[in-house]
Amino acid sequence: MGRSRKYLVIVSLILLLLLVVSIVFFHYRAYLLLSMIMIAAIMIPFFARFEWRDVGGREVVLLAMLAAIAAVGRVPFAGLPSIQPTSFIIIMAGLVFGAESGFIVGAVAAIVSNFFLGQGPWTPWQMYAWGMMGMTAGLLRNTAFMKTLWGKCTFGFVWGYIFGWFMNTWVIVGNIEALSWKYVAGIFASSIYFDLAHALSNVFFIIVFGVSWIKILQRIQRKYGLLYEQSG
Amino acid sequence: MGNGIQAIHPFVMFFYYMCLGFFAMFFNHPIFLLAGCLALIAVNLSHDGGQAMKQWAPLMVTMTALIIVINPLINSRGMHVWFDFFGKQVTFEAMLYGVVTAMSLLMILLLFVSLNSVLNGNKLLYIFARILPRTAFLIMMSIRFVPLLKRRLTEIQDVQRLKGMTMTQGTLSERAKSGMSMLQVLLSWSLEEAVETADSMKARGYGSGTRRPYIPYRMTKSDRRWLSYLLVAFVMCGTGGFMGYGKIVIYPELGLLHLSSLDWFVFACGMAVALFPLFVEGREQLKWNYSI
Repeated sequence: MGRSRKYLVIVSLILLLLLVVSIVFFHYRAYLLLSMIMIAAIMIPFFARFEWRDVGGREVVLLAMLAAIAAVGRVPFAGLPSIQPTSFIIIMAGLVFGAESGFIVGAVAAIVSNFFLGQGPWTPWQMYAWGMMGMTAGLLRNTAFMKTLWGKCTFGFVWGYIFGWFMNTWVIVGNIEALSWKYVAGIFASSIYFDLAHALSNVFFIIVFGVSWIKILQRIQRKYGLLYEQSG
Repeated sequence: MGNGIQAIHPFVMFFYYMCLGFFAMFFNHPIFLLAGCLALIAVNLSHDGGQAMKQWAPLMVTMTALIIVINPLINSRGMHVWFDFFGKQVTFEAMLYGVVTAMSLLMILLLFVSLNSVLNGNKLLYIFARILPRTAFLIMMSIRFVPLLKRRLTEIQDVQRLKGMTMTQGTLSERAKSGMSMLQVLLSWSLEEAVETADSMKARGYGSGTRRPYIPYRMTKSDRRWLSYLLVAFVMCGTGGFMGYGKIVIYPELGLLHLSSLDWFVFACGMAVALFPLFVEGREQLKWNYSI
């Protein structure tokens, strides 16, 4: 299992680096097109692994259910703007079921919720950001840092910001010739409130509900012996 | 929903949207982009009389206007200074760049509006089931769970309201807590259910062979003809684009906006692709009205 984990990290880092390098150095005008292709290329290895791995029917249904819950989680919170539990649910899935499952739950939750809210050029970016959130949660779950409550809270807080910044980059890449510090700062400043709300709601949910959610997911995992193979 | 474009094979439509997305992000000549936007508006009108477009209109208009207004104000690259705006030079180049970016984004948004109404979930997943069968299956199942989970959530909300747990009263943290408690009930309920669903799927033979789509779309002769038509037009247009036609230099100094005859040729090929749904609909209309 160690090998596949290294493979995941290396491939995703290399491709992300490629994305940045190509945008900075290529004298090529179609940045948005290029970035879309790159994002798709980054995600291909993850989905390919999911296709080739030996996954049973129960596991597929469980992952689909988790992704659907993450997408539906927005519904009861419709009255509380900018608080949504999707990220929390994805982080929990990653923590209990591992990096690969975390990625699948995050990426599928993004597609599914966009089927109801409308697909757009932002879909691949959201898929990648949420997928990575679940994946990093799975990768770090056995470290001493993530075992503590403080570690989990920090993780949730930081990801609240990374997610917002990553979604900002798609706006910037779409308009890259206008790149100037003022422009970038303006875009990031306009999202500060939303990112903060996202980060704080992650922390809040992890403090109040983290333990019980992990218990519920682990109970299912132990009871039916599901998605154990990646817990190496 | 029985109009002509719905009957076209999903692969052909998917190829059409890929081509258009490529054009929107690849070409940057304002006339090309304007024509592309107009063509897509016409295509959307032919789908449902512009119903879906109306819903998206506020977002599209604000986004376009914001980019066009903001770009020249924060960016003063370019040679042709137009006027001074509170000590900031507003250049013609920055203005034009804003217009080009806005139109390119508008074209992509219009494309997705059309895509959402033509390639519905079933067709989209039919396409991806060939490449990533298990992922497509997972997504399809997840989409099916959403209405089910919404129903369960209302049920949970009804029960919890009797216990005094609501989302409408109390402080923010209380409301967030009660919302999450409901999700927690939903989670433990649905995870058990998921395992049961999986077992019943297995009993009926899931995983015993390759999956076939629920609706078998067949590639007909006319689908193949349309596909080759699109392919030819796209290749000609793409080659022209890579040779530099249909594109202009904006920064550091604006190049020529003039279109040569080869530019017009590339333009015609692009329009031949963009207007493809209208040709399909028009052919249907002709057949309906004038065939004996």
